[in-house]
Amino acid sequence: MNANLASACTTVQCQRGLADKLAMRMIGARGERTDYSFGDLEALSNRFANALGTLGIAAGDILFTFLPKTTEQFVAFLGTLKTQAVCGTLFSNFGEDALLDRLGDSRAAAIVTRKSLYKKVARIRDRLPALRTVILIDGEDDAANGVVSYARIMSEASPAFSAPPTSPDTPSVLHYTSGSTGKPKGVLHRHGSLASQSATACEVLGLTENDIYWCTADQGWVTGTSYGIIAPWSLGVTQVHYAGGYDPQAWMELLAEEQITVWYSAPTALRMLMRAEDELFASADLSRLRSIFSVGEPLNPEVIAWARRVLKRDIYDTWFQTETGAIMVANRPGLAICPGSMGKPVAGVEPAILADDGAPLPDGAQGNLCFKPGWPSMFVEYLNNPAAYRSKFQNGWYYTGDTARRDEQGYYWFMGRSDDVINTAGHLISPFEVESALLEIEEIAESGVIGAPDELLFEKVVAFVHLHARFQPSKDLEIKIRLHVSNRASSIATPQEIIFCAGIPKNKSGKIMRRVLKARYLGEDPGDTSTLEI
Amino acid sequence: MTTAETLEQIFRMVFDDDSIEIRPDLTANDVDGWDSLSHVNLITTVEAKFGIRFTQKELLKQRNVGDLLTDIDRKLAEK
Repeated sequence: MNANLASACTTVQCQRGLADKLAMRMIGARGERTDYSFGDLEALSNRFANALGTLGIAAGDILFTFLPKTTEQFVAFLGTLKTQAVCGTLFSNFGEDALLDRLGDSRAAAIVTRKSLYKKVARIRDRLPALRTVILIDGEDDAANGVVSYARIMSEASPAFSAPPTSPDTPSVLHYTSGSTGKPKGVLHRHGSLASQSATACEVLGLTENDIYWCTADQGWVTGTSYGIIAPWSLGVTQVHYAGGYDPQAWMELLAEEQITVWYSAPTALRMLMRAEDELFASADLSRLRSIFSVGEPLNPEVIAWARRVLKRDIYDTWFQTETGAIMVANRPGLAICPGSMGKPVAGVEPAILADDGAPLPDGAQGNLCFKPGWPSMFVEYLNNPAAYRSKFQNGWYYTGDTARRDEQGYYWFMGRSDDVINTAGHLISPFEVESALLEIEEIAESGVIGAPDELLFEKVVAFVHLHARFQPSKDLEIKIRLHVSNRASSIATPQEIIFCAGIPKNKSGKIMRRVLKARYLGEDPGDTSTLEI
Repeated sequence: MTTAETLEQIFRMVFDDDSIEIRPDLTANDVDGWDSLSHVNLITTVEAKFGIRFTQKELLKQRNVGDLLTDIDRKLAEK
């Protein structure tokens, strides 16, 4: 039996006669184009798999990629999975603290990165004893520091590799996700996740072999791996990947020139596009574009109305999370869109809206969004944290941490989070991580971090900061705080608003009462404050 | 210290990389980590360090470091 999902993406496609078909057009930041057939991807990922064997990376070991959108990102991902090692992906804007949490907790054996990013890893390398091997895509061998040249190991490796028999339960992909307390948790998936990913790519995205597909998600997040690598290639679909950043003109030109037929993006990017002049869209030939999908945070009805007016198309909002591995609830072609709703469940999943005590709630009532466990792409563990994993399952249901309601037509509506996790631009941010980074700053005595509504980002990170008595608030200090969080955690965790205050509300056990901070920020009643200490 | 030298220091601080060397044709695509959110950090820091404010229109027109330098110099001259 071979359920190896990387083999499904390349080997199986070649066996189906698609070896010469275009699998990936990589468009560089300056517009340069490089094409890879399924045969090319098969040979390159095979070389990488063989190279890992030479380096002593074996089944069960964990390798991370820490790269922007580059060809090597995709080759390393597929090659690693072919060997049955686990592949984790790291957002290329992570800072040292975020890297240390993830590489340290997972005891990663290897990382694939490039020189400019390796500087961050080098600063924490002495605290990562398990990290034996660093593969630099633009560097030379440095045996003394366990650094090897990607170019050399690839040139020396054979392009022939046969993935060992892989069961659906073999661990595959690792993503870290933020919680409201404690360090980020390693969400481990299995090769059997492919069944959900490819099924939803057909059922929801409507992908067929004739499509040209563009997913804008970074490979550091679950959308970037599930729908930016695995699902489309397992169906033999041509993908376009763009290494440049957000640029409305470049994006429209790409959609038109590459004749993209299915486009998967995010609400924040779409809301940024709404700010561009309408003429930009009128001049782009989008006649081949069949469907636009969105994921990350709720898609507000205004965006759908804008798309209908300017792009002459609907945008279909989809919902899933790192733990679910694949789309669970979605709007899709053939289903009337209720603007602002998450849509309806995909085939084979059973959602429910439950009260905290597990009781089912009637239509229209807000409660915990839950799913009956057992869908193929369900995560298999939080790495090294079985208690946290168990806590997600109660009374025979998986609790997503989101709250929602179902209407009488069966559409689901996202209502919010049941915890303090902040969803900014589709990325989940742990207030605890930001607070920890803030406390590293000499001037700060204590801090409390919340998410607040934001027109562009959905939620923005707001930091309440209490300074030591000898320091005063200043513009320079505000900048210092912003840059510290950005460089130690990540740019997405940067507080968009910093509020200097005289104290942080805590309960008698010292827990930060973010609920009170949020009410204070929004000018609302904080509710029961009987346990408030300060 | 020239405007360019000060700006280079700001880039190194914002992107946490002492090896960054700015040049007029440098864009977000050339610097690791220069995304839309760190761009806000860059502009906020530039405005504070030089004591200037950019308009939304000026920010939208800036395509590279050369454009940014030109705007900074013009605003400093107007002060």
